[in-house]
Amino acid sequence: MKSRRVNKDIEGCGFPPLRQELKEAGPSASHRMNGLVESCAFPPSRQKKGAKTGHGASVRGPALSVLLFIALLRPLAASSPQTDSPAQPGASAIWSHDVAPVLYKNCATCHHPGGAGPFSLMTYADARRWAPQILKVTQSRFMPPWLPEPGYGDFADVRRLSDPDIALIKRWVSAGMPQGDLKAAPPQPTYDATWQLGKPDLVLKVQQPFTLPAGGTDVFRNLILPYPLKQTHYVRAMEIRPGAPQVVHHANVIIDRTGSLRHQHPTDWQGGIAGMELVVDAGNRFDPDSHFLFWKPDTPALVEPDGMPWRLDPGNDLALNIHLKPSGKPETVDAQVGLYFTSDPPSKQPILLALERDDQLDIPAGDSRFVIEDSLTLPTDVEVLGAYPHAHYLGRDMQGWAILPNGEKKWLVWIKNWDIDRQSVYRYKEPLLLPKGTVLHMKYIYDNSAANPHNPHNPPVRVRAGNRSEDEMGQLWLQVLPVNPPANAADPRLLIEEAWMRRRLEKAPTDPVSLYNLASALAGQGKFAEAAAVYEQELKLNQGDARTLTAMGAALDGAGQWQQAQERYRAAIHAAPADQAGGCDARFDLANLELRHDDFKAAETEFRAQLSACPEDAESRSGLGAALQGAGRADEAEREFRRALELDPGEFTALLNLGAMAADAGQPEPAAKLLEAATSTRPASPEAHEKLAAVYAQQGRLNEALAQLRIAAGLAPADAKLHSSLSQVLDALGQSEEAFAEQKQALQLDPNDADGWNNLGALLARGGQTEAARAAFEHALKIQPNHAQARANLARLAAPK
Amino acid sequence: MALCLALSLACSSATERYGVDLSGRPVSDLGGPGIHFIVLVFAATDCPISNRYVPEIARLNKEFSSQGVRFWWVFPNASDNAHLVSQHNRDFTIHENSLLDVSQATTRRANATVTPEAAIFTADMREVYHGRIDDRYLDIGRERPQAGHHDLELAISSALAGKPVPQPGGPAVGCSIVFLQK
Repeated sequence: MKSRRVNKDIEGCGFPPLRQELKEAGPSASHRMNGLVESCAFPPSRQKKGAKTGHGASVRGPALSVLLFIALLRPLAASSPQTDSPAQPGASAIWSHDVAPVLYKNCATCHHPGGAGPFSLMTYADARRWAPQILKVTQSRFMPPWLPEPGYGDFADVRRLSDPDIALIKRWVSAGMPQGDLKAAPPQPTYDATWQLGKPDLVLKVQQPFTLPAGGTDVFRNLILPYPLKQTHYVRAMEIRPGAPQVVHHANVIIDRTGSLRHQHPTDWQGGIAGMELVVDAGNRFDPDSHFLFWKPDTPALVEPDGMPWRLDPGNDLALNIHLKPSGKPETVDAQVGLYFTSDPPSKQPILLALERDDQLDIPAGDSRFVIEDSLTLPTDVEVLGAYPHAHYLGRDMQGWAILPNGEKKWLVWIKNWDIDRQSVYRYKEPLLLPKGTVLHMKYIYDNSAANPHNPHNPPVRVRAGNRSEDEMGQLWLQVLPVNPPANAADPRLLIEEAWMRRRLEKAPTDPVSLYNLASALAGQGKFAEAAAVYEQELKLNQGDARTLTAMGAALDGAGQWQQAQERYRAAIHAAPADQAGGCDARFDLANLELRHDDFKAAETEFRAQLSACPEDAESRSGLGAALQGAGRADEAEREFRRALELDPGEFTALLNLGAMAADAGQPEPAAKLLEAATSTRPASPEAHEKLAAVYAQQGRLNEALAQLRIAAGLAPADAKLHSSLSQVLDALGQSEEAFAEQKQALQLDPNDADGWNNLGALLARGGQTEAARAAFEHALKIQPNHAQARANLARLAAPK
Repeated sequence: MALCLALSLACSSATERYGVDLSGRPVSDLGGPGIHFIVLVFAATDCPISNRYVPEIARLNKEFSSQGVRFWWVFPNASDNAHLVSQHNRDFTIHENSLLDVSQATTRRANATVTPEAAIFTADMREVYHGRIDDRYLDIGRERPQAGHHDLELAISSALAGKPVPQPGGPAVGCSIVFLQK
């Protein structure tokens, strides 16, 4: 019995795409939560290969330059006094001892043969060849590329060169670039052309290589890599091999859950899609973007932290949004993405959110100081894990900060000299804790004057927000991990989503995307009536929109207005052809609704209609199975569930139902396997854990049953039956006190459970508390006078020993 | 050759007046019949900025070659030998003439210091322009999305029109030429 969340197209909003909400047909809280367990990941950790920076032997030989005529003009390096501290002002600087370690540590990751840098800096000859440029770009801090100001955000993997290192390079160049003893130089870092993390589990390749023209302006291209597998996988690491690293400045990987880019460009997506920003359909579940999948040349392998893999489902695409710089000759961008899987689903659920003022971007020509500002109040405690400031060519000064409830100001990032060519995701060295009530701020300043060398227009013209590189954007994306959630609270990401969308609506009250997402966030929290009202608002803007009708139907269903829900579903089916997402989703939800109201025949009809349009839809196959099962046609139901698993081995409903059927048939081993798979597919389903616990208990695996029940109770703490089951398993394990406490809790949640009172009585009786036990049995009989077991127990108590 | 390089210009001879072509033959005439102006574009095979100007020079060559203008790519760095430059020209589909300025005399004569940098000479080898090709690069790390002022193109047009040749509006930006020491 599962429902599907529906979604709709969203407007383009850069990286990452804004999600659209989901809605869910099922009013049950546990079902609602099922859809919320999604993968997430940290910003990529920076993998640096083999850059060894230790100094070599300290004995320096004479500088035997291969270019003798140069050497003759310079004092031999051997005559320089030795020092172990190359950073000391005024000390000498030679390549082998002092400069090579700095270059190897800070430059060689890109500047090596075959690397992304335009030339190598691996040898003395290389360094000498490029010494004037090295001096210039280190003095100006153009290289290594690092935009954030120090002291305004404590970031990991800082590439900013230290002042002593910059001074060292200057001394070295001033001294005539002495070589020193080559034997004393540190070993060269090694870079190989193979996958850094070993053979990937899956390699995705572009369908058609993209040919970058020899000249012209920079190119922003979106290469689409379909995920070909029929199973869901969690990705713990990804490596991108762009094919022509020297022309790829950076890339954002965006997960297109619905293949929407392919659908928007049915005939030409294979060669990639032009544009700096993307328009994607975020899919049919509450699946907030939670990863910064940002690639830049020195970080080809993005390894996610433990507990934060990201998910790929059948039908998903990866969109490689790349910034390409023509090199002077045509270049073939033949990108490959290597994926490394893990079987462990995510255990941490971060979310990306954005401060943004694109709506205010209307920059007069010649304006050298155009300011936009935004703020957002956090509805829950979070840890900020990373930041991604984003603008196009006119951005100059970008500030992000937080004001805590106690008035303290914490800087998130400050870039004083923005350069789109050197943009990056910045990950904090330590997560930045921001309590509920903190106000996030951004302030961006744009320079649309002719004095801005990055200005794409000469003379300047009026510029507004948009997708093209000559348009502008103003966003500060943050990756936050909700922490310290209140007990029994909804997924805190929904609170963040709600706050974000309400803030967007303050800025643009009729923005249909914000309305839709807000309604979905409300529905996700169980606020169905409020959600339906917001959907109604959006429907006024998008009359007859099948997706909104479907979503609204689900909200009404959740609010208990199931007949109205049916009407909306039927309207949605009418509004969209059956082979389109809106109609399909509406029919699915309608069938599901009928299923839940035991109208198995109608549900079967709808599911069969759905399958005639979408025969590969495993969820619909399972839905049909559930309808047949409800109608008592178990054999046919089992067949449909098995077909669903053939389509998607991770199809949750099929796993759950087949597991339950196997358990009922007295086959605990296959039941356990199926239910284990169900818990793995949807670890936030209390139902799956509960059923698995029951099977484990059948098998006598009481400790494992206990563990499953504890997980289930953690997920649905208000479910009295779970606490009652916990009590029984604890009792069987001899843990009477805990068993008693759990049973008491169960009865607090459901005081009218006669079985529960009977069980409590039994526990009390065994503990020697006869009178209390008697009261419990009597209470059970008061609730259910014909409760045979309670009556028998009471009789036993009454009998003299 | 090393000894000759060390002695620099002393090695120059009448038959190696401007450098050698990719076959090693001395080039003593950069112009030729019907050539009014000679444009030298200084480049290095390993310089990303001069490489990025290959399409622009091809465009200018196409525009002006029929008007008595002859373009040369001049490679002044000792590391750019005939083999490397030949390979580079194949990679970048360079159709203009190439000159290896092994003595760097031509480079000094043109007052070029970085790659890319351009110089315009009259047929009798009088320099009328040297400097940047356009204003795309203001400095290393300060780059316009596209050029707004095409200095070299304007200079060639003016020279062909017999007008005063406008001088570059800013410094040439690129990779330093590795000068041999005398």
